[in-house]
Amino acid sequence: MSTLKEILTRRPVAATIRLTVPAGGARPAPPVGPALGQYRLNLMAFCKDFNARTQKYKPDTPMSVTITAFKDNTFEFTVKSPSVTWYLKKAAGIESGSSRPGHLVATTLSVRHIYEIAKIKQSDPYCQYMSLESICKSIIGTASTMGIKVVKDLD
Amino acid sequence: MNSNQTFISAPLGKKMALRHFFKHLTILTSSYGFCTLSSRFIHPSLTTLFNNINPKSQPLIPAKFSLPLSHCYTSLSHPSTSTLLSPYLSVRIRCPKDIADVFSEALMCFGASSTTVDEDDNCDTSNEICIESIFPESEDVDVCISLAADSVGLKMIPSYEVKTGEHYDWIKKTQESFDPVEVTEGLWIVPVWKTPPDVKATNIILNPGLAFGTGEHPTTRLCLLLLQRLIIGGERFLDYGTGSGILAIAALKFGASFSVGIDIDPLAITSARHNAALNDIGPENFQLRLVSSNTSSPSADEHKDIQEQTSFEAVAESEHETYDVIVANILLNPLLELADDIVSHARPGAAIGLSGILSEQVPCIIDRYSPLLDNISVSEIDDWACLSDTMVTSYNILSIFAVTHTRTGINVHF
Repeated sequence: MSTLKEILTRRPVAATIRLTVPAGGARPAPPVGPALGQYRLNLMAFCKDFNARTQKYKPDTPMSVTITAFKDNTFEFTVKSPSVTWYLKKAAGIESGSSRPGHLVATTLSVRHIYEIAKIKQSDPYCQYMSLESICKSIIGTASTMGIKVVKDLD
Repeated sequence: MNSNQTFISAPLGKKMALRHFFKHLTILTSSYGFCTLSSRFIHPSLTTLFNNINPKSQPLIPAKFSLPLSHCYTSLSHPSTSTLLSPYLSVRIRCPKDIADVFSEALMCFGASSTTVDEDDNCDTSNEICIESIFPESEDVDVCISLAADSVGLKMIPSYEVKTGEHYDWIKKTQESFDPVEVTEGLWIVPVWKTPPDVKATNIILNPGLAFGTGEHPTTRLCLLLLQRLIIGGERFLDYGTGSGILAIAALKFGASFSVGIDIDPLAITSARHNAALNDIGPENFQLRLVSSNTSSPSADEHKDIQEQTSFEAVAESEHETYDVIVANILLNPLLELADDIVSHARPGAAIGLSGILSEQVPCIIDRYSPLLDNISVSEIDDWACLSDTMVTSYNILSIFAVTHTRTGINVHF
């Protein structure tokens, strides 16, 4: 996917940092501060950039960010939408999945919920080549490992 | 004074040299305001932040300034500092190289707030790599690591060591990375511990602190360039969302008569006051207000406490002041929500600049602001955009143009 020019001028990578930051709420406090400060990255630039890019999400949704810090104190980052489990928990309104998935059903969700979640996930970088149907199938799979049953219609 | 002694015992523990000790004494005796506050209210590492970075400069704080400062610091000791300087656990884990990525993802799932994987260039023979992870203090590190190792398929729990994170380590490190920045010809932003490369140019001295606005970010640049065009002399300027105060200070340097900076973050207000002092700007030209964020903004508990403590500054503007130039460099959502408020501060015919938005968010802002402003023009650097409702659009116009402010509007003659 990267062009030849990009490969030749690739900057040496110092570290890969993964973080969970609430959307629109990046601040220089821990965990962002220490993790980025260690590599002397410009904290405020990251916070501003991250906040601007996550404006379209509801405030405080935990977004997972992967930052590639280069040796010359610059950085690049990609923002991924929240995890499927988080969406499922929000959709069902529960705090945690069932304690015995497979045996104990925590709650049920309708296919509409799954469809909505799949649409959000489709804009994620690593899901773009998958068809909506296959994304839905993987979400249903995740739901069943949490003990959430998916039914056609909720009455 | 007794307060001198208490201050000395706090941060001047292990790390400060004797040299710093004496310099601090002189700072304390000259600025009464700082010394009373520091001893009682500020958490030790914050004092190191504001005082120790450059031992050679003495903050000139006139006596009448000190009173508002004390109230400002009271609020500082409460919520926002506590989250900023809240303790965290830093864990160093050694694990086999090939599963480092997956393992760090697993750690994130099970409760780590962040994981960092170092790239190893000196490929040593050991196939182990270090992952540094940060956990919130309340988290049970052992459980988390064992769950993560389990989910990844490791047979045994990798070795790790836990230590409590040091605050001013990372604060200091980020500050070290600032260099003087030339925004445009004749305008430099210089961190307080470096000397300005061009003494004759307009130099804005900053202590970046933890508030936004060091001059490097494209939005700050866009706003500074806009200000250079808009400010001719004698205007009243409002910096909506002032951060480090850089735009308000720049306006005064360009010739504005009066600047006001408002922000919802008490740290920003402190930072801005400090920076104003560094640039020899006194309270007669420059005022700062902390406003409560009742409409916008996320993390609930921080701002709720700020609302309770706003009694100290006259936040409620009883006389509705109007400004000639207003710049708001914040984010998309606050800009949309506070549109009416921002425009209400402008006198008829004032110039307004809006930034902190990505190029793709521009149509949204234009939609929201077109009933309120006319003649919106957009300028962009990289992915960032700045909107302004003046006539000036491009730099390619070599012919001389004059902008006259009249009571009714802004006229541009080409």
